[in-house]
Amino acid sequence: MDRRKTTGAMSEADLAQVLSQVRAGDADAWGELYRQYAPAIFRFCRRLLPAREDAEDATTEIFMKVRQKLGTYDSSRPFTAWLYKVASNHCWDTLRRRRIRQDLETGDVDALPLEHPDPGQLERLQNEHTSKEVRAGLAKLPDRARMALVLRYYADMSYDEIADTLGVRRAFVGVLLLRARHQLRDALGQSGTGMAATAGSGRKT
Amino acid sequence: MSASDDPMVNHFDEVTGLLYLEGQLDEDHAGEVAAHVASCPACGQLLRALEKESVWLRESLATDDEPIPAHLMAAPQRNSAHWGWIAAFGLCAGGLYTLWNGIVAPSIAGLSQGGFSQGNVLTMLLFQGTFWKGWDAMRSLMEFLAMATLGSLVIWLLRKQWRHFTPIAFVMGAVAAALTLPPAAAAADVEHGDPSYTLSAGQEIRNDLIVAADRTRIDGDVDGDLIVFSNSLTVNGHIKGDVLAFGSAIRVNGPVDGNVRVFCQAFSLSSAVGKNVTVWTGAFELDEKSAIGGSLTMFSGTSELNGKVAGDLLAYSGSLEINGSLGRNAAIRGDRLIIGSAAEIQGQTKYTGRRQPEVASGAKLGSPIQVTIPKRGPDYSRVAYYWHRVLFWGASFLFGLMVLILAPGFFVDAGQAAKRVGPAIGFGILFLFATPIAAVIACVTIVGLGVGITAFLLWGIAIYAAQIFVASWVGEKLLGEKVGMGPAIGRLALGLAIIRVLMIVPYAGPLVAFCVVAWGIGAIVLALHRKVSPQLTAAA
Repeated sequence: MDRRKTTGAMSEADLAQVLSQVRAGDADAWGELYRQYAPAIFRFCRRLLPAREDAEDATTEIFMKVRQKLGTYDSSRPFTAWLYKVASNHCWDTLRRRRIRQDLETGDVDALPLEHPDPGQLERLQNEHTSKEVRAGLAKLPDRARMALVLRYYADMSYDEIADTLGVRRAFVGVLLLRARHQLRDALGQSGTGMAATAGSGRKT
Repeated sequence: MSASDDPMVNHFDEVTGLLYLEGQLDEDHAGEVAAHVASCPACGQLLRALEKESVWLRESLATDDEPIPAHLMAAPQRNSAHWGWIAAFGLCAGGLYTLWNGIVAPSIAGLSQGGFSQGNVLTMLLFQGTFWKGWDAMRSLMEFLAMATLGSLVIWLLRKQWRHFTPIAFVMGAVAAALTLPPAAAAADVEHGDPSYTLSAGQEIRNDLIVAADRTRIDGDVDGDLIVFSNSLTVNGHIKGDVLAFGSAIRVNGPVDGNVRVFCQAFSLSSAVGKNVTVWTGAFELDEKSAIGGSLTMFSGTSELNGKVAGDLLAYSGSLEINGSLGRNAAIRGDRLIIGSAAEIQGQTKYTGRRQPEVASGAKLGSPIQVTIPKRGPDYSRVAYYWHRVLFWGASFLFGLMVLILAPGFFVDAGQAAKRVGPAIGFGILFLFATPIAAVIACVTIVGLGVGITAFLLWGIAIYAAQIFVASWVGEKLLGEKVGMGPAIGRLALGLAIIRVLMIVPYAGPLVAFCVVAWGIGAIVLALHRKVSPQLTAAA
């Protein structure tokens, strides 16, 4: 499951050794760990926080937290999972602080759009937009929708981890992800080729 | 194309499709979906579209087209917050010192000499120039220290904004410091003990002398001021200027022509002082041989006054025993006052304390002592007291409501900051004390009165506002984190009510109030700093 993006490769044994050296206060090991993971964490923050400056600051702050909290990391679990957990908590906290009127976003979240996508249109949407446009579209989504997509499809987090980070019930994560996909489709549809928003037929189980 | 064209099959919805693809359905449910997909091309098409979308999302997110910025290439080392703290504490210490010795003590002395029974401190501040006599050298040194610390603090706070200009800022700061320094430094001899410093008898220093040493002994004479930072200090020589000393044990046996200002654990004076004496000490003894030409202002644990004081006495002392003579009025506040049979007080004596003073029969007093035994604490038996408490609660609630409505973003920020209890209280205590000091410095020095008074007002508002953020925190603990305006108002109201009830508890109440103020101010400061410098919050 570990498809998380890091530069280069570090074997598990190497990582374990580096981590124990960092815990012992070795500055070189810390530099090594940082070089290994900072680019991925920077991109992660870049996708979550709209302003580049914020992503830069967040990267630094996350690694300072990592260094402080490394003692609490349970080495029987994958390090990247833990790292992304720290990072996502930090970013979510940052976003929540920024969000002035929190109630705008939560009220109607249980109401899922019921129209189904037209698979053909969906495919066209995917073909017509570059990765860059997708990321630009992502930046227009509400914080929680953007968080959900990035945590799931960039950081490969489990539904449990996502639920825990965003403070929602686990059963709600799927709804959140689907809703976010709809919002992204809408955002790209409006900004891109003028394609109509999801036009499908309603149906239920 | 659309799946609803097929009327006979029980199609699944999009969420179910997504959960199926992501392996989140239980076995039975997943089996049902798989079976349905096998026989329903429309649903199969939907699943494929969703799956392709997943792949498309992963690829779009993973595409690496933005390298990590150069300044993030190096790993952050242990954060540099400690020197920010040092700078802040430096400011605090320097400012506190200036505030005390330069303004408060002379102001109080001035107030009592001027016959004010209750002083309006702000009024006195406006006319503070009167109280600066004999302080020029010290003033410029302290101004320099305070301004330098303040400057480095500002640079530290803004370094995020000036990421690339930091070196320039430091150079500018150094230039400014260099311009400020010479007048302060050129006027004095500076000596460092190794570990002790002694000025031998017969030696003479022709200008000011500044000493930092473990033990200091001044047997020779000093023409200017003597400024000492030393564990112990004994002065036997003749000091023609002022004596200013910090230390643990300080003895002054030689004559001093100017003022004596000491901040120490134990202080004894057994010589003549030409002008005023200001003492802040644990134990103070004014010897029979001592004579003070001006007034004596003292904050002390236990004190014995056996010498002569020509001017007024202003004393805040745990226990005070007077056996000497006072030329003018005495204003004494303390726990215990003993006036011995050898005592002689020419003017009026006012005493405020918990116990009746003990006056020996032989003591000569210009007029009978005016004794005030203050009634401690509020009158809990009156209904009006509780009514007032309710009114105060209402006022604070309205204030909180105003902040919530006018600045919801700040309200949320400060509420979040309050959750980090330790840093909030730490910063709170720091700013609670540092702000008025900085404001006073601003009043007296270059920056100007306007800035100082504005800072004072903001500080006052912050003290009042502190409770609303702590109240929100308390409310959140009890009512939960529900989002929206309604719950936020509910949390505020309940939290304020609880805090205000705790504040009226006898004895514990003032402590609660102090903690609330420190904590809330810390939250405000952290929230403000977050805007200025995100790094600070991570460092805290």
